[in-house]
Amino acid sequence: MASSKRVSIMPAPKPPFSCAPNIVIADNASLTGTHPISVGPQSVIHPRTKLNSTYAPITIGSSCIISERSMIGLQSAPSDYQTKGVVIGNGVVVEVGAVVEAMEIGEGCVIEVNARIGKGAVIGKHCKIGAMCEVAEGDVIGDFTVVYANGMRRVDRGGVEDLKLRMVGRQVEVLRKLIPSNPAKFQ
Amino acid sequence: MSKKPVKGEYIETDTGNKVSRRSQIIGTTNIILGGKTVIQAEVIIRGDLLRTYPPSNPSEKQGNPVAVAIGRYCFFSRGCELRPPGKLYRGTFSHYPLKIADHVFVGPGSIVEAALIGSHVHIGSNAVVGKFVIIKDFVRILDGAVVPPNMVIPSFSIVAGRPARVVGEIAEGEIEGFDLREVYRSVGNA
Repeated sequence: MASSKRVSIMPAPKPPFSCAPNIVIADNASLTGTHPISVGPQSVIHPRTKLNSTYAPITIGSSCIISERSMIGLQSAPSDYQTKGVVIGNGVVVEVGAVVEAMEIGEGCVIEVNARIGKGAVIGKHCKIGAMCEVAEGDVIGDFTVVYANGMRRVDRGGVEDLKLRMVGRQVEVLRKLIPSNPAKFQ
Repeated sequence: MSKKPVKGEYIETDTGNKVSRRSQIIGTTNIILGGKTVIQAEVIIRGDLLRTYPPSNPSEKQGNPVAVAIGRYCFFSRGCELRPPGKLYRGTFSHYPLKIADHVFVGPGSIVEAALIGSHVHIGSNAVVGKFVIIKDFVRILDGAVVPPNMVIPSFSIVAGRPARVVGEIAEGEIEGFDLREVYRSVGNA
């Protein structure tokens, strides 16, 4: 026993993964952790996205787009109240390199490039978190808020939320053609 | 076991491109490299995000589809990303090609979703260049700038801030600093 230098390294256990049959998940997305990850119908997960359920479960709604290099899920142990883990609503777009540890993200939000959303934060519906903006831990952001520049905030009730959701839907349809999907790998 | 005794970090192509083995290039068939371009480790280039909207002029010859076109002597530092921008146009969503001219430097950790980048452009580290930005020749984008979508940056500008705006001009004497031939030569397996 001691002689074998090469201890066989077990591949990291796959997290319990449940998804609708018509999602797009790229081959080299990475899913780690032990808590369940579920992805709703029509969602797209780009290559090199990191979904980490080591500390708490992840729930992603329908028609979401999760871009490459973004990190979804808690990166450290959660506080007591975040038992549901990270819940992302329908039609949410997470752009490149964003870090999402939020308790809840409402419908139709856009999390732009390199934005960071801290643990336990709650983001309302149709919000936009601008590029490189940060939302502090436990912060609560109301519906229709736009966070931009160095944490400035305003409320934008443009009234075009339905159109935006439709646009995300169109984008999903296009990405479906472009990104080869392999959900079987993760199950 | 392998034929070559030592494998260097970079793969050198016939046209003199130096591409790191640890770069993450997706959709290689849709990317054009002009030659003498350096791509460092952990750079992501999304060649798979092709234009799906049919070209306006049907007589246009249908060659290979291009998602990312890069000129000569460009330098892409560690961990940066090139991503063709996408938008909704006449009710259909499509990505559009990202075109980069010569002597373009992109700093570490920057994310570029521009439509067009001219020659001799320097993009600092951890900058974000928004969707459909047009950058003309001899432009310097400072570290950590967030260039908003659809911005057009005129030649000889210095751009910085969140959101980015033009903060200065490039003097005539500074033009030499943009030449990347020396930088290209300094990178290699040795």
